[in-house]
Amino acid sequence: MKTLNMTLLAAVLLLTAVLVAGQTQDQRLQLSSLDHLAAKAIETVDVNIDGRLMRMASKLLSDEGDEKEVKSLIAGIKGIYVKRFEFESDGQYTSADIEGIRSQLRGPSWTRLMNFTSKKDGNLEVYLLMNGEQVGGLAVLSADDRELTVVNIVGPVDIDKLAKLEGQFGVPELGIESKKEKKNDK
Amino acid sequence: MNDDYLWDKSGEPDPEIQELEEILAPLRYQPKPLELPNNFPRRNYFPVLAIAATVLIALLAAGIWLRVKKQETEPPQEAKSVVPSVYKEPEIVKKNTDLSPKPVIRKRTRKKSINQREAVEAKEQLMLALRVASEKLKLAQRRTQGPPPNQIKNQHKIG
Repeated sequence: MKTLNMTLLAAVLLLTAVLVAGQTQDQRLQLSSLDHLAAKAIETVDVNIDGRLMRMASKLLSDEGDEKEVKSLIAGIKGIYVKRFEFESDGQYTSADIEGIRSQLRGPSWTRLMNFTSKKDGNLEVYLLMNGEQVGGLAVLSADDRELTVVNIVGPVDIDKLAKLEGQFGVPELGIESKKEKKNDK
Repeated sequence: MNDDYLWDKSGEPDPEIQELEEILAPLRYQPKPLELPNNFPRRNYFPVLAIAATVLIALLAAGIWLRVKKQETEPPQEAKSVVPSVYKEPEIVKKNTDLSPKPVIRKRTRKKSINQREAVEAKEQLMLALRVASEKLKLAQRRTQGPPPNQIKNQHKIG
């Protein structure tokens, strides 16, 4: 009887471990379906930072000044995955490419925070993964004529802090917005 | 007398053999059906099955874990975009004035150096990722908070 109880306990623990692993998988989006776009893009950003690399990078951030803020922002984050493709001409990616990502975000754990659709400026969608009251993950899907960006952050993240990060804390602005505005002016 | 009796019971038997046969006769094999007792204890296979199931689940979990781990530890591809680097890479290699061979220390230093380089690369990648994420969120905020263009056009000067 004792052996049986121990066995059942071990089985329950293992099942819990499997479920936890499954949940982490849910939080992380599978972005490999976009890899084929790299060949068409003139500029590609592909960042895969898992928990181990996060810890390594975090160790290099100092506990003073601006880097302290970055360090506190990334504390608890288990991974950051970014794919951005910039194309020379329109129509280099298909709606199926976006749908592959969007379908993963339709799961019950994800909530769409905002959806901005414009013929001129393209689509911008922000999704949150909620763990009760806390944000457990973030996904941003941005698509316009010549750019496709997917950002996936696994773990708790302060969105307001992250939005304020550009141009601060030694994180220079990329100026993509102004680049786009200039393009629209022409 | 011949020995055939010993082989196939033919021919004339030896009296000594006959006597021995008679003595051993009660011990002769007598066919009868196997009788099992009614209260024969049946073996309980449940613990064995439970252990087998646990091992199976453990293997499955290990497989999933390894797969997740493998996906997570995929080497990050380098970004093609030119990003202004804020962080200055620390000087890792120090001049070694001692020329005597110290293989163990050198090995450790090399490993440390590789880890350091990996950490620096990870930090740069992290900054790049945060930059992209931040920029997109800021853009989202601007688009949700900013007034629609028509609203500005329709405003009239007062007075």
